[in-house]
Amino acid sequence: MPYRFDWAPIWANRDLIVDGFLMTIALSALGLCLALIVGVIFGTAGSSTRRALRTCAAAYVEVMRNIPLLVHMYFWYVGLAFLQLPPFACAVAALTLYSGAYVAEAVRSGLGAVPRGQRLAALATGLTPRQSLLYVVYPQALRIITPSLASLCSQLIKDSSLASVIAVAELTYQASAIEGQTFRTFEVYITISLLYLALVTVVTYGLLLVPVARDRPMQGLSDA
Amino acid sequence: MPDVILKNLPFLLAGLRLTVEIALLSIVGGTLLGLAIGVLRYLRIPLIARSFDLYVVFMRGTPLLVVLFSCYFGLPALFGHKTSAYWAAVGGFVLFIGAYLAEDIRAGLRSVSPSLVQAALATGLTRASVLRLIVVPIAVRNVIPTLFNQYVRLFKFTSVASVIGVNEFTGSAMLVNGREFAPITIIGFVALTYFLLCFAISLVGRTLYAHLAVRT
Repeated sequence: MPYRFDWAPIWANRDLIVDGFLMTIALSALGLCLALIVGVIFGTAGSSTRRALRTCAAAYVEVMRNIPLLVHMYFWYVGLAFLQLPPFACAVAALTLYSGAYVAEAVRSGLGAVPRGQRLAALATGLTPRQSLLYVVYPQALRIITPSLASLCSQLIKDSSLASVIAVAELTYQASAIEGQTFRTFEVYITISLLYLALVTVVTYGLLLVPVARDRPMQGLSDA
Repeated sequence: MPDVILKNLPFLLAGLRLTVEIALLSIVGGTLLGLAIGVLRYLRIPLIARSFDLYVVFMRGTPLLVVLFSCYFGLPALFGHKTSAYWAAVGGFVLFIGAYLAEDIRAGLRSVSPSLVQAALATGLTRASVLRLIVVPIAVRNVIPTLFNQYVRLFKFTSVASVIGVNEFTGSAMLVNGREFAPITIIGFVALTYFLLCFAISLVGRTLYAHLAVRT
């Protein structure tokens, strides 16, 4: 029995798909921003000279990374059910803590890859420790880790599909709903796969175009 | 251990067994698929390599849940043959992780130095033997850390199979929770178990790499 494709039901339900797509974007954007904050904090702690801070950061990273995202989601949604958090907040919390661990690991390795002399030179010119971190070390680390941040970002967008399990009405959730009504399984999933692919591609290449990420370190010297 | 866990331990362990089984099948299947596609793309065979490029890009841009749904609900519609949720899950995992492994293995193959390949060819080995005896072994041993990262990811991903109705570890734990309603204890136990097993997988990877890595 050959499968006959019929795209009309998908077009008829385009409103649901657009709603879901916007929800996916909102979920990923919020999750990404918070994960970056969490990641920078724990990544900086992980490359600190103080052993206690390093241990804390390592414990956070290992625990969060080795537990499935679905279990994170269930923890916030089912485990902490007495808090009555809305599903969207649960999904954001789970995505933030889970992806934050991956970002922390990237930040830590980026900070480790900046030559030690850079910080010392910054301190020697009279910058405070905070300034030298903010203006000298972080920008260079950011350039080094941009490619891995881009791939973490696409990871996060795809991971956000798991929020459908805890009833967040994002793209995959809407797709399941449409599939349940129309039984156009392949058409629905091909459509949303392409949407995810488009979103991931745009975000990944967009991140690589950010000026601070693109500039080569030391480029200014050869121009001068 | 808390009473809830002890009372339901046989049921939970049956789920855990299923998780390990699915993970092992998918790891073996995915590695073979990744190796085949990685080598084909490395050799840049016209047309074939291109079509696999498409497969890798598409798979890496799609969420796992969508792949599983397509395998479980879509394939029966396409072929008129119903697969069990178990095999749909294994198939989906193999296809999904295979794309990531293919990319990692190809990166490993490309990291093998060209002069090594030329030297091997100069000694009179055929191209196939060079690939089988020199390039693939070195490449695979060099990418062991990345491969094991993917295996840990896959092990965590097996929890998603519960969504299409496979009663693996997460699925059976949520069933137990539905009956007992002790979410913190049960989810805590699940999280701890995954943590220990994933940690064990990374340890195996680190040990293997320490013993097998090619030192030049």
